Amino acid sequence: MSRRTRWNGAALAVVMGGTLAAGCGAPGGDAPQPEAPSATLATAPTCGTAPVTLNAYVETGFPLPKELSSEFSKQHPNVKWNIREDQFAVITQNAPRVLADDPPDLMRLPQVSELVKNNLLKNLDGYAKAFGWDSWPASQLEQMRMTPGGKTRGEGSLYAMGLNFSMTGVFYNKKLAAKIGMSSPPATLAELDDALAKAKSAGITPIAQFNGGATGGLAFPLQDLMAAYGPSGPINDWIYQKPGATIDTPSNLQATRHLEKWIKAGHFWKDVNAVDYATMMSRFIKGDGLFMFDGDWESGNLDKQMPGDVGFFLMPPAQQGGRQAAMSAPLAFGISSRAKNADCAAFFLNWVATDPKAREIGVKVGGSHPMGPADAPMPEVTKGTVTASTLEAGAKIAEDDGAMDFIANATGAIYAKSWTPQLQKLVAGQQTPEELLKSVQSDYTSQVGGS
Amino acid sequence: MIVGRRETWTGRLLLVLLMAVTLMPFLSLFVTALHPSGSYPSGLEWPRDPQWGNFVKAFQAARMIELVKSSTLIVLGVVPVALLLGTMAGFAIGHLRMAGRNVVFLAFVLGLTLPFEGIITPLYYQVRDMGLLNTRWAIILPLIGLFMPFAVFWMRAHFVNMPDELSESARMDGANVWQLFWRIHVPLAMPALSSLAILLFLWTWNQFLLAIVLVDDPLKRTMSGALGAFQGQWGTDMPLLCAGSLLILAPTLVIFLIFQRRFVTALLQGSLKG
Amino acid sequence: MTRPTPDSVVDPPATSPGPAAVTRKRGHARAAGLRTPRWVGWLFVAPALGVYAVFVLRPIALTVQYSMYRWDGIGPSTWAGLGNYARVFTDPDLYDSILNAVKLIVFFSVIPVVLGLMSASTIRRIAASRLALVGRTVLFLPQVIPLVAAGIAWSWLLSSAGLVNQLLTSVGLGGVARAWLGDFSTALPAVGVIGAWVLLGLCTILLLSGMSKIDPALYEAARMDGAGPLREFLSITVPSLRQEIGVCVTVTVIAALASFDIVYVSTQGGPGNATMVPGLEIYYLAFSERQVGIASALAVVLMVLVLVVALPIQWLTKDRSS
Repeated sequence: MSRRTRWNGAALAVVMGGTLAAGCGAPGGDAPQPEAPSATLATAPTCGTAPVTLNAYVETGFPLPKELSSEFSKQHPNVKWNIREDQFAVITQNAPRVLADDPPDLMRLPQVSELVKNNLLKNLDGYAKAFGWDSWPASQLEQMRMTPGGKTRGEGSLYAMGLNFSMTGVFYNKKLAAKIGMSSPPATLAELDDALAKAKSAGITPIAQFNGGATGGLAFPLQDLMAAYGPSGPINDWIYQKPGATIDTPSNLQATRHLEKWIKAGHFWKDVNAVDYATMMSRFIKGDGLFMFDGDWESGNLDKQMPGDVGFFLMPPAQQGGRQAAMSAPLAFGISSRAKNADCAAFFLNWVATDPKAREIGVKVGGSHPMGPADAPMPEVTKGTVTASTLEAGAKIAEDDGAMDFIANATGAIYAKSWTPQLQKLVAGQQTPEELLKSVQSDYTSQVGGS
Repeated sequence: MIVGRRETWTGRLLLVLLMAVTLMPFLSLFVTALHPSGSYPSGLEWPRDPQWGNFVKAFQAARMIELVKSSTLIVLGVVPVALLLGTMAGFAIGHLRMAGRNVVFLAFVLGLTLPFEGIITPLYYQVRDMGLLNTRWAIILPLIGLFMPFAVFWMRAHFVNMPDELSESARMDGANVWQLFWRIHVPLAMPALSSLAILLFLWTWNQFLLAIVLVDDPLKRTMSGALGAFQGQWGTDMPLLCAGSLLILAPTLVIFLIFQRRFVTALLQGSLKG
Repeated sequence: MTRPTPDSVVDPPATSPGPAAVTRKRGHARAAGLRTPRWVGWLFVAPALGVYAVFVLRPIALTVQYSMYRWDGIGPSTWAGLGNYARVFTDPDLYDSILNAVKLIVFFSVIPVVLGLMSASTIRRIAASRLALVGRTVLFLPQVIPLVAAGIAWSWLLSSAGLVNQLLTSVGLGGVARAWLGDFSTALPAVGVIGAWVLLGLCTILLLSGMSKIDPALYEAARMDGAGPLREFLSITVPSLRQEIGVCVTVTVIAALASFDIVYVSTQGGPGNATMVPGLEIYYLAFSERQVGIASALAVVLMVLVLVVALPIQWLTKDRSS
């Protein structure tokens, strides 16, 4: 008996030994070191002539990066591409992990502040100087600037670069609009409400929108309503994580209540909580839905699929003639701080903004305004197309200084874990506008202050 | 007798109904896969112009050949090693009955109920620190470890029932322990081993969590993980997604249909045997 | 078996030979043991134990360790004691995920076992026919395909334009048609249905094979006594299948508590958090929200929960008569 006990004791020691060997010392501490401020480059970098394979991680469903990369390879045959695609929600989830442990040369970026905090993104100041990006209109790059350590966005060093500058507003189906006697886009929120009600009583789905899965698309109309009810500045402050910023303001509450009114009036599809982005697009193109809150990245697509039948307008202000605002953001790409071919990637980003052919692709395929110097040649766009009207709207936004980043970009987890579930609950009648904003704000506070 | 016949008919009806429900998702995948790429077919509706080309398109989009190769490599890395290690340990615990076997066996048995999600986080950092992230080893090595409880459990159950006389006569002939194991016991364990091999094959091939967390490149993942990536990329194109799903689930399905009797036996034993 | 993991199968060790046989064998073992040094066995166990320790036991220990720190997975960590556990039990998002997993047991376990018992006892009558042989193959299909594929197929079936709604509409129930996975009240049950689909065939076949071992004389005797089919079912079939039912329940309960693949593919935890389960929450917390400490605390809770649920089921259904 005693012999057996001793043996079992020994066995236990062996089994546990390997296990416990693990457990000393706190985890972590092997964080990437902050990069030295990027040195001034004597000459602008290039991709050289030796064969290079650029690793890129892009969003699926949008042909722009692929078109640009193949055109780039045509002009620079030594550059090959290895492109991984995922849906945006997946990219958002993967971003920190991928940038830290499988660094791509170019990556479609979700929210950048946490990535900068963890030193996962390359500081692009050196490239900006070498390529002269600093002389472009400052508003183009503002959203991609961060102060050291990722504390505040909107100022400081450059950490990402856009492929183009996209903007959101409201698309509408002209055929359905004619049915309800809407001859021109609504000029005020009241007129929009009126059109929605008319569509509803005519048996037309007033708004085509998505709100399913991990991406709550009702954030589009919500933010537009926020901008209609109040100034866009505080919203940007909140997104940029300025100290003391809050989303829970009286005008935002009005906006959320307005959205709830739309939901209760049945202005969205009954199954909107199960509709993903692609389903929304396919239904809108089939003619189901009068309005759709979406971005100009679809203009090229809509021009092709429903030529002449689609119009675009910016979210109308609450008062006639009021300032207009729109979510407007660069299609941001970053370079991992551990990227192997950072120079070539930066050269590509500069090429996208300055090469005439690339700019043309940016507009025709991407549907949005290209990045680059103010005086760079603009590609020709056919009059009367959606693309033309979205580009025009872009000018109006610049005039009104109404560009806002997307509320879903405030922190890395705010979209998937706060806005989306909260908006889905609002649709199901399980959440009130008051509680929705409170809850998002408290998640935001713990994420901004916590990590 | 009349009662018996009525029961027989309800039995048939019920079975047919169950089969219909089981096959419904496959049928729906198949029919949807034949619709034009990019469309949103509703319900079960035979397309006017079946797009058989979708399968070719999905075959290329999913890079099926490379996927099958990757999964095969992973299976070849996991199954033989797991079988060997599991058999050796099962032999020692079940037949040699070495001292301290109860504690060792208990340590393995407790691992039988372990949800993989429970250890995925440290496993990620461990695999990263070993420099194996994004290689097939990131799936192979942890899986061997994770399969040990079941493999040991399974093989011990076999060896416990092997008569000692067998070993004694071999030892009389001067065989050492390794020869006893390799020449006498392993050949006799073939039925148990082959069932175990089938189970481990299936669990490796269909492993999802480890694949999506530890390997980013779908071409280095298991079939199941690759399907996850395929959905990520083509989830916006329903017919293509359905065609790709069918292709990706085809290999196990075909192997199952060929070896179905062994499969069913293995899976049943896998649940029942002790 | 229910998901591609070995651990979902817990077998009652007691089905090996009865106590008498074991004692007899141990006697022989001692004789053999004199010639084989007792430590030789350890050489055979060492490799298995090695990989197991490195890739399972060590990570388990690390999970426990991480669960007591605040850590973003990249930078330095700070000690948090049991604070993360407090979060798990007070943050509604987190404990709701555990509750959801418990609710899934109804669909993953109760339905397959009850339906499986009913169908198996009916099918038993035709066990030898060709239809039954084909049926055995067909019912097993969900077991061999990746759960991801099941998730994709069912998401499509249950979508607003899917076959399920089409069938409902065709029998005049168009009123209840909806996007089953996108509706707060039906999303979790809909996920449960997917699980039930995967597990029903396994349970049916498992119970069927158990029934074939029941001595037909028992049924004859019962009929002689004038027992109806129901009596027969309750007093003979169910008790004889105690062990098989135990296995079914164990396998399916673990599948419910540790579900990941199906939810990841079909709902990502939504709408709201209506279908969030611990496995998925751990994945999100650890890899996208970078709250490794809380993720690990939830992981520990999940591992303990599975153990606490699985062990009593084993104990209750263990076949102690033999």
